[in-house]
Amino acid sequence: MKPMNKEKKRILVVDDEASITRLLKLNLEQTNDYEVRAENDAEAALAAAEEFDPHLILLDVMMPGLDGGELASRLQASPKLKSVPIVFLTAAATKGEVYARGGKVGGLPFLAKPVQMSEIIACLKEHLGG
Amino acid sequence: MNTEIITKSKKATDQATLESEQRYKRLLASVTDYVYAVMVENGRAVATFHGPGCEAVTGYTSGEFESDQTLWYRMIREEDRPAVLEQTERILRGEEPPPLEHRIIDKNGTERWIRNTTVPRKDAQGRLVAYDGLVYDITDRKQAEERLTRAHAELKANEEVLKKTLEELQRANQQLKETQLELIQAARLESVGALAAGVAHEVKNPLQTILMGLDYLVPNFPAGNDNIAMVLSDMRDAVTRANTIIRGLLQLSAQTDFEVKAEDLNASIRRALRLVNAQVIASKANVVRKLDPHLPRARVDRGKIEQVFINLFINALQAMAPGGELTITTRGGRLGENLALSETASRPFHLGERLVVAQVQDTGTGIKPDNLPKIFDPFFTTKPVGVGTGLGLSVVKKIVDLHGGAIEIQNAAPGGVVVTLVLKAEPE
Repeated sequence: MKPMNKEKKRILVVDDEASITRLLKLNLEQTNDYEVRAENDAEAALAAAEEFDPHLILLDVMMPGLDGGELASRLQASPKLKSVPIVFLTAAATKGEVYARGGKVGGLPFLAKPVQMSEIIACLKEHLGG
Repeated sequence: MNTEIITKSKKATDQATLESEQRYKRLLASVTDYVYAVMVENGRAVATFHGPGCEAVTGYTSGEFESDQTLWYRMIREEDRPAVLEQTERILRGEEPPPLEHRIIDKNGTERWIRNTTVPRKDAQGRLVAYDGLVYDITDRKQAEERLTRAHAELKANEEVLKKTLEELQRANQQLKETQLELIQAARLESVGALAAGVAHEVKNPLQTILMGLDYLVPNFPAGNDNIAMVLSDMRDAVTRANTIIRGLLQLSAQTDFEVKAEDLNASIRRALRLVNAQVIASKANVVRKLDPHLPRARVDRGKIEQVFINLFINALQAMAPGGELTITTRGGRLGENLALSETASRPFHLGERLVVAQVQDTGTGIKPDNLPKIFDPFFTTKPVGVGTGLGLSVVKKIVDLHGGAIEIQNAAPGGVVVTLVLKAEPE
């Protein structure tokens, strides 16, 4: 098990697009504020979450197999992970739809792709208090 | 011997005469027409004799006619008596009138038609002494004629009905064709819409990759290389533009949540103006508001109507050179009573319907007449490359259609464009 740097916030990013998780990891870690674990499979992400103990989970919605919505339900059902903030990052909605819903769908915060890193970081800070 | 011959000869002659008379009587009896004679003295009819056939035609016997000289007149149907009298007077004056067809009521009370032909009999001095008449029962023919007339009238009426039905069918057929075309277009748009939604979703992930790639590269490229900075900036602009197009496509194809309420359109306009205030300032435009303070509330989805106004305001601002004038007018009324609209603008409504009208007018260069019919087509744009996607007005039109409203774009007489938006007002 990798030693965890307690000064940095741990972010678990889950998206079936490897390029997106790769770039999220690169961009977030280059700020030196975050340690990022990237997963491209929802089932693997469940196991990774238990092990990585993230401060926040960035979650794509439309994934093959177990989709983001179902994954979010399972994460919230876990005693260890139920209080971990989840932010959806999805191509399935427009920004207008997100704003119209107060940035939330189903009670969970929502970012509509394509979204700039500045917006993602602002959202992380909002939910992590940083 | 001679007496016997004479007697035999006389007997034979008598027998022949009798037989002839009997044949004559039988002949007369078999005729449904009959003859009559009228004796005339000093220009007056003094006696009539009706042949044996009169009973078959009238039901009365010759004897009944002989014993009642007015029976013939009383038998004529009352409405036809003037014509019969006139014929009689003409005969008594010595004229030869044409045959007369008229009705009688026979002994059984049944109405019959007869044709009465008269022939005068004159003495050596040319004085009328009598006239003979032939009465011909034409009831069957007349009834057949009446049936034919009725049938003809019915046919005429049916012809009119058929004509109208044909016209209605043709109209219905035309409407069906138009509806069919609309359905085909709607189905096409729906599949395009569904395709657009699918494409939009698939394209967003690659755009996300590019955007985040740019976010990573920008701080990591060595500073001072203007070309690299320009290329990276152009790439970011391209992603933004692609996203705008995708957003427009999704709006066009979206199954909309549509919530209609009574809203103050003036308030929607003011909110939309606030949202485009930055563009107003940038274009140095003068905004003129002529908003009816007594405007009836309109039945609209507030968010979508604001989207319409935002779109129209931005189009107007982009069409004008700096310092142009944007005029927004609202008014309400009843169509055809205190509100007059063009045929296009009034098409979805009926006379007397309570409506709300908003007009957005700019002082730009107007739209080429050739382009006006295409103005609501998706991706049609008159704006320079990179300024517009061509989806704005098609989305506007879709929203207006959802409201059951009308939108018309025309070139304004003094120059520029005027957009007329017509919506249903809240009933009183």
